[in-house]
Amino acid sequence: MNMNGNCQTQRSRRSQSSVRFLISACSVCSALIVVSVIASARLYADGEKIAVFTKNQTNPYFQMLRLGADNAAKQMNARVTHYVPTRPDSIPDQMSQIEDVITKRPDAAVFVPVDFKAVAPGLLKMNAAKIPVVNVTDRVEKGDIVTFVGLDDYSVGLATARYLFKKMNGSGAIIILEGVRGVQTSSERLRGFKKALEEFPNVKLLASQPANYQRLAALTVTENLIQRHPNVNGVLAANDSMALGALEAFDGANRKVLAVGINGTKEAMDAIKAGRLLASGDNNGFVQGCVGTMAAIRRLRNLPVPKEVVFPATVIDNTNYKTYDILDSQRVCPKWETVVKP
Amino acid sequence: MKTLAYRLIAVALIGVALSFTTESFLTVANVLNVFRQASLTFLIASGLTLTILTAGLDLSVGANVGLSACLAATVMQSSGSVALGAATGLVFGAGVGIVNGLMVTLLRLPPFIATYGMLWTLNGFTYWFMGGDTIHGFSPGFRALGSGYWLGVPIPIYLMLGFLLAGAVFTRYTTLGHDVYAIGANREAARLSGVPVRSRINLVYVLSGAMAGLAAVVYLARLNSAEADIGEPLTLPAIAAVLIGGTSLFGGVGSLLGTLVGALTLTLVVNGMNLLAVDASWQPLVTGVIVLLAVWIDVVTRQRAEANA
Repeated sequence: MNMNGNCQTQRSRRSQSSVRFLISACSVCSALIVVSVIASARLYADGEKIAVFTKNQTNPYFQMLRLGADNAAKQMNARVTHYVPTRPDSIPDQMSQIEDVITKRPDAAVFVPVDFKAVAPGLLKMNAAKIPVVNVTDRVEKGDIVTFVGLDDYSVGLATARYLFKKMNGSGAIIILEGVRGVQTSSERLRGFKKALEEFPNVKLLASQPANYQRLAALTVTENLIQRHPNVNGVLAANDSMALGALEAFDGANRKVLAVGINGTKEAMDAIKAGRLLASGDNNGFVQGCVGTMAAIRRLRNLPVPKEVVFPATVIDNTNYKTYDILDSQRVCPKWETVVKP
Repeated sequence: MKTLAYRLIAVALIGVALSFTTESFLTVANVLNVFRQASLTFLIASGLTLTILTAGLDLSVGANVGLSACLAATVMQSSGSVALGAATGLVFGAGVGIVNGLMVTLLRLPPFIATYGMLWTLNGFTYWFMGGDTIHGFSPGFRALGSGYWLGVPIPIYLMLGFLLAGAVFTRYTTLGHDVYAIGANREAARLSGVPVRSRINLVYVLSGAMAGLAAVVYLARLNSAEADIGEPLTLPAIAAVLIGGTSLFGGVGSLLGTLVGALTLTLVVNGMNLLAVDASWQPLVTGVIVLLAVWIDVVTRQRAEANA
């Protein structure tokens, strides 16, 4: 990368000069880079190469996760390369990226599978290539991992649903907006929602429909559902985008509703601040990216890593959102010891 | 025209069946709800209909909506001007249309390839541009464009009816409109009879792009937020609306009214499933069956007409 950059500036500065000059300039600067790389390798015993796999470039959650990985790598002097499927959440794209990565032989991988079952063979391939893998966010079905870093989606679903039902004084009628059917985060969060419903017998579930974690789908589905059920006074959504889409539907019908989402996105913080969204279950992509990457580096440096790092469920509302509402550029990875209790 | 009548009857039948099975279907609020949802699909599908009428195709409409919406949102928020933001969406959308048109007419790429390449290019640019962010929170005045009412009727419905009327006049009563059908029916014959084929083809792609840009602005108002993936799920339903509406992929046959009927059919399916508490995961399957049925009816009626002639 650097080499190309240097050559290009050389080229633009001396557009008149001969090709020969260009070639010699290039070889000089590449030699310099080789020397500096060797020098830096001498200076630091570290500089491990970590491959980080995420699901897509569209969801803010994974953007935060990547920022966390970068931040951790910077702190610990390792190097991160990101692999994101060209088509969002594409199973074949991620599989072929895994194959590419195996040929490049990174020292370790931080792995968010786009599908916990379908991409499991990819993990087995990395196992066969003896690349240590830290599994983040969605738990892969099979294969060997260094550790799992993620959220207990069931507990978060349970906690946000309980929070909503308490704010409804334990009675009323709700609709549920599910994520993508068959995706682990969605089914686990839904299981949490259903468990909370058992605890609040006076809260009636009117409908539960998938809206694929998408705002537009959530808007359309909610618009349709409130035609059938005019008495809805609560919305439980498996992510923030859907909760905010549902709120747009209620706005369009000039009606009020209590809505909660999950993920704790920047947009959700703004909506909580403005009093539109009631609450959001915390799912801190940044910290997961930090801890996942730290775990991979720690493994390579023979430092202890627990079997799994599962974050407790926290609900963000208007009493505590300030601790979560930080500019991306000001975020810093927490110390390993403060997150992972021995 | 006759097949369009069949389609209208089919839509009416779905409506009657739904009103018997759930009393929440045939209410003023729900009918307006269905028309509002259909209006956005129609806006995207209307420009697309014109390209298909020339025996072309515009696969980039969804991606165009996505990027136009993100650019419009950025400009709107950084400048604080709704008009400037909306203009950005429209101009950029039309600009994509110009490039599509030139790829088809000047570089002689097949429309499928040209607009398919454009789809990827736009998506890639959108992902890079947004970097996983969302832009959200617009003024209530602007949001009314998507979720507001005028005289008790949602504003997007007026847009849909306005463009339906304008489109009908364009396709039926102007030379430009006649040329579009002529090119789709037989490009060589159209050229020989003096139709400026290239400039007409450029025109339909620009119109398709501009409609995508307009739809982007309305989506932005309706969702109150722009994120990189909003255009992704829009392309296939728009094509389905055109096909269900009886516009032939081979060009020369079809109408904007048909596309409206197609958009309504698609919306009714989802609305009905939600009202009847049927799992919405079945929706793609039902859509697929309806598209196949609609096109099959076309093929059969056309064969009959040819046999009779």
